[in-house]
This record gives sequence, C-alpha cells and structure tokens, in this order.
Amino acid sequence: MIIALDRVEIGYDRPLLPPISLSISPGERWGLLGPNGSGKSTLLRTILGLLPPVSGKVLHPLGRRPRVGYVPQSHRADPAWPLSAHEVVLMGRYPALGIARRPGSADHEAVRAQLQAVGLAGQDKKPFRALSGGQRQRALVARALVAEPELLVLDEPTSEMDPAAEHALLHLVLELAAKRETAVLFVTHQISAAAGFAHTLALINSPAHLVQIGPAQELLTSENLSRLYGRTVEIKREGARALVWIASDGKEAP
Amino acid sequence: MSFFDAFSLLREPLLASALAAVLLGYLGIFVVLRRIAFVSAALSQVSGLGVALAFYVGSFLGIDPHGESVPLYASPVVYALVLACLGSVLLGSPSRARRVNPESVVALFYLAASASVVLVLASPRIVQEAHEVGELLFGNAVAVREEHLVELAITGAAVLALHAVLFKDFLFVSFDHESARSMGYPVARLDVLLHLSLGVAVAVSTRAIGTLPVFAFLVLPAGAALLWAQRMRVVIALAVTISLLAAVFGFYLSFVYSLPTGPTMAALCALAWLPGLRLLRGHHS
Repeated sequence: MIIALDRVEIGYDRPLLPPISLSISPGERWGLLGPNGSGKSTLLRTILGLLPPVSGKVLHPLGRRPRVGYVPQSHRADPAWPLSAHEVVLMGRYPALGIARRPGSADHEAVRAQLQAVGLAGQDKKPFRALSGGQRQRALVARALVAEPELLVLDEPTSEMDPAAEHALLHLVLELAAKRETAVLFVTHQISAAAGFAHTLALINSPAHLVQIGPAQELLTSENLSRLYGRTVEIKREGARALVWIASDGKEAP
Repeated sequence: MSFFDAFSLLREPLLASALAAVLLGYLGIFVVLRRIAFVSAALSQVSGLGVALAFYVGSFLGIDPHGESVPLYASPVVYALVLACLGSVLLGSPSRARRVNPESVVALFYLAASASVVLVLASPRIVQEAHEVGELLFGNAVAVREEHLVELAITGAAVLALHAVLFKDFLFVSFDHESARSMGYPVARLDVLLHLSLGVAVAVSTRAIGTLPVFAFLVLPAGAALLWAQRMRVVIALAVTISLLAAVFGFYLSFVYSLPTGPTMAALCALAWLPGLRLLRGHHS
C-alpha cells in the first residue's frame, strides 16, 4: 500500500463530504470522478498532503510521503517561459535531487529516455512553447514519469483535448505506468475518460454530500451517474468501450 | 565641463546605476515571467517610504540621513530594507483569505506606500529635505557615496550568489507552482526566499538610484529580451545587457543634455521594446 485515508473529512473549515476511507496500492488505477466544483481538487490536495484533513488521518504505510509524479492541465505550464522540452522534463528530477543540488549526467540521460518513451525523441532542444498542445501534454507526462513516481497523479490533463488525443495520451500513460507498477490517480469530470481508464472509482459531489467508492465496473451505472450529475445519464458498455448519454435538464436520455 | 572631465565626480553614481541595472535586469526575468511586475512596483514604493521615513525620524533626532556616518537607526537603507523585507514576506506568502484577490493586496501596498511617501514629504518637519528626498526617490539624485556603492555591491553579490545556488529551484516553483507543490517541493519557503531577494535588491537599489529606474530595470529589459530570445540563458544575458546599456547611456545622456537621470534610463529601457514590437504583433496576428 502506498497511501491510505482513514475516515478523512475534507474541506477548508468544515467538511465538504462524508468521511472517506480508501487505500491505494502499487499498480492500481484510480479515478476521481465528479462534476465541476464537486470537491475533486480538495480531495486530491488532501491525498497529496497539501491540505490537512478536517478530521481523520492520511496514512503513509511506506513510512514517508510517496514519490509523486504530477501531470497538470496543460495551461498550468506557462508557455511564456523560454524553456526547452528537455529543461521542462528535467524538473521532474528536482524533488529527488533536493534543494540546491544540480542535476548530473544520469538525470539528463533519464530525461532523454523519457522523452523518447513519450514519442518526443529528438525534440528535447525544441522550445516548450513551440510544441503543439498534445506534445506539451506528453512532455508533462514525461516530466511526471522521469521522477520515477510511486503515485502518478493526472489532474484533469485531458480537459482541453479532443477525444482521439485524450485516448492516445491515457493509453500512453497506462502503458508507461504499468512498466513500473506505478499507482495512477486520475482526476476527471469526463465519464468516458474515467470508464476507459480506472479500475477503482471515487464518485464525489460535495453539494449533494455524495461519496461512492468501489470498482469502476460496479459504480458506473446509470443510476449512480444520474445521482452524481443531478440529471439523467445513461451508460452502456460494449466490451472495453463505454457509451454515455446525458439528457438535457429534466428530459429522459434517448 | 564635458562628461569625461566630470568623470571623477560621476564615478560612484554611474557605477551604482550599472550595478543596480545588472542585478535588477537579471531579477526582472522572474518578475516578468511570474507576472508580478506590480509586486516589484509596490516593493519599490515601500522602499521609497522607508527612505522618506528615515528623513522624518532623522528630523526628530537632529540627524541628516543623507550625511556621513549615519547611525543605523536613522539610515535610509536600513529603513528601506526593513520595510521591503516585510513587504516581500507578506506579498510572497500564500493568502489563506480566499475572499481577497492577491492583486488587490499588491495594489493596497502600492497605493498605501505611495500616499504615505507624499504625506511624509509634506510634513513641515522635513521641508528642507523634501525636495532632496523627492529627487532621490524619482532617481534624479547623482549624489551616491562610496558607502552606498559598497552596500549595493555586497547586496548584489549576495542576491546573485543565492540565485546561483537556488536557480533551478526558483525556476521550478515559478514555472509550475502547482506541480512543484504536488511533487513535494517546499514551494512556500522558496517563494518567500525569492520575494525576499527581490525586496532586498529593490530596497538597496532604490536608496542608490530611486524608485522609477528600479521599477523600469525590473520590468522593461526582461520583457524586451523575452520578445527576442527562446532560451533562458540568452534571455538573461539580453535582459542584463539592455539594463546595463540603458543605465550607462542614460547616465551619459542625462549629463550631456541636463535631463533627469532616472527617467532617461527608464525611457531607454522602454526603447528596447521598439525593435521587438513587430514580433509582438506577429505573435498575435
């Protein structure tokens, strides 16, 4: 086990959700699914130790905070900075290096290898700002993975992507994370992305004071999703694919 | 008297301007890319308030803060440093009050400091010195003593040494704050340290060359350099070069044409944007 929450209530001053208990183990694929403003980011910040819980405990079974790789939404990485793709990915090594220590040749070699792994071989000198949106997001995945994380966090990384680019990115992340048995925590408000990605889901909606945690196959039902989003949602599975219909307010799905 | 005839008199202020330009031209990269231009404006006003307060306190103690061998408790640079460091820590700390917009806090510092400077200078206690302090704050003073130069050189060397050691760390937390925090980096402490280095540099430079050129050196050269260069090292080299040239030529032109020194330097910094404006339009078209 990498990290666990024991009856944790999340929030700033008062609890946003009922107490949450969960544990994340190596190789697991977790999804945090909920509408905008549902408390996903607050739960994530609590899991990462950036926000103290209102009550309950965040447990670190390894005896320390796990090594975290973090992939933000692409707009968080400001393209105004005059940095190369290599320099951006190299930042993933900094937490392990520590303050005031300079990266060595092994760090630069790891960056080159990771850029190759995400399909950006030969682009390491290219300015980060000159990469396409999809390439930038792959560089940010490389930065997270070059940290050799025990927990890889994807914080709505595909929210500005088209479905094909989203599928390609998530497929790449899963393939690379599986090689190291890295646990993955994926935060999203997109049902299709969560359905195709997560083994285990936490459905959360703070205004409705709703938390449901369990296997994705069991939780992704029309009833649960309709309750989560406050409108009629239908989901049908065809093998690995999930088809989702969301009805207009007050209307039945077709 | 020609510029070169007067050089022995102008040596200290010219060197002070050049040192401040190099230091602030470099720090400007962080100021511009972190989008905290008005934090630096607020800090230079807060430092200016420190300078004005030193004269005000000096009037009660019968000390001329502009004179020689000024005790620490009446030294303008000490007052500027204390206020700028306090301002840096307050502006660099993450706000827990979610209702307060960070920009409003910066504006509060800027406006409160600017208004206070005017009010302090309007005091009948420092009528004699008010003009001199005003000149100092707007960067028109050419009376920089050797001791001010030494203060600036030591401070500049300390700030640049800190940045040489922590450059990669300042870069990471400035480029992607959220990821750095999530990956376990001590973002809050590094932010405060970065703001503190900025505050110290601004305070000592303000005492030496005034608020207007300090703000200009912090914002304009880095902005112009970013229009031209794609690599961090080149951007830093370009920003420092633009600052340095603006300081030296600004000083020269202000002497030759009897222009106010600070505004001349600031105007030259602004001119550095002209060749790049075409690129700016190109990016948006």
